[in-house]
Amino acid sequence: MMLEYDPGMIAIYSPTMIPIYLCGIVAIYAVIRVVMEKNTLRKLVFLSVMNFAITGLVVLTIPDIMALFAGLAYFIGSNLEANAIASTYVGGEYSK
Amino acid sequence: MNEFYILVVSLIIIIGVIYVYISRSPFDKLIGLAIMLGGAIPFIALNGYLDVALLVAVIMPLTTIFILQATGRKTDDS
Amino acid sequence: MTPELILGLIIFLAGVIISAFPREKDYLSRLIHVEIAATGLLLIMLAYHETIALLTFVSVTAITTIVLVRVIERGEPCD
Repeated sequence: MMLEYDPGMIAIYSPTMIPIYLCGIVAIYAVIRVVMEKNTLRKLVFLSVMNFAITGLVVLTIPDIMALFAGLAYFIGSNLEANAIASTYVGGEYSK
Repeated sequence: MNEFYILVVSLIIIIGVIYVYISRSPFDKLIGLAIMLGGAIPFIALNGYLDVALLVAVIMPLTTIFILQATGRKTDDS
Repeated sequence: MTPELILGLIIFLAGVIISAFPREKDYLSRLIHVEIAATGLLLIMLAYHETIALLTFVSVTAITTIVLVRVIERGEPCD
């Protein structure tokens, strides 16, 4: 099963490329904010921002119906992961 | 466009790996693991393996949740 | 040399090295670093276009992690 999409067919300065550039810039900015932040609970907020941006990047780039399900699974799974980390961190902090 | 996509995703993966190494708390290490996974998913999906991307996106948070059980256990004991 | 092969080799080598010499001498830290090496191996296997191998590798990695977590919970603490 090799689909081998060719995204290079779209011109670089086309107006249809603006959402993809925007998602990439938001993802890089969120990752840098996660690395620079001190508080752990504030890191998880920007981790959720990165998950939104990556989901948009997957869904906007690939012109296939299966990409919607892959993006849906990634969005649900990553939000579940971030909420599990936050729940364990807060429970371990206040129960002492 | 493909160069921009690959550059962004590679930068996210490498930042995640470096952040896992330099952080000391296990929660921060798991956050770095989530960043690295977020970079790896578009790389799988760009080659056309959308079913593999779906399976990885479902299974990897389960792995993180199982590691979190050991983390809470270690924090309560020590 | 596709980009995913080069990136996978870099991440696999980095994961193996930092799993052998971590900053925190702890079992949990080493287990999290092994996950990095597993992701690098997944990216390397992505360059050879075998779907069944990828599916089996992801499933077996998850089962291995669950078994190792059980061993760490039940074993003695590391020095």
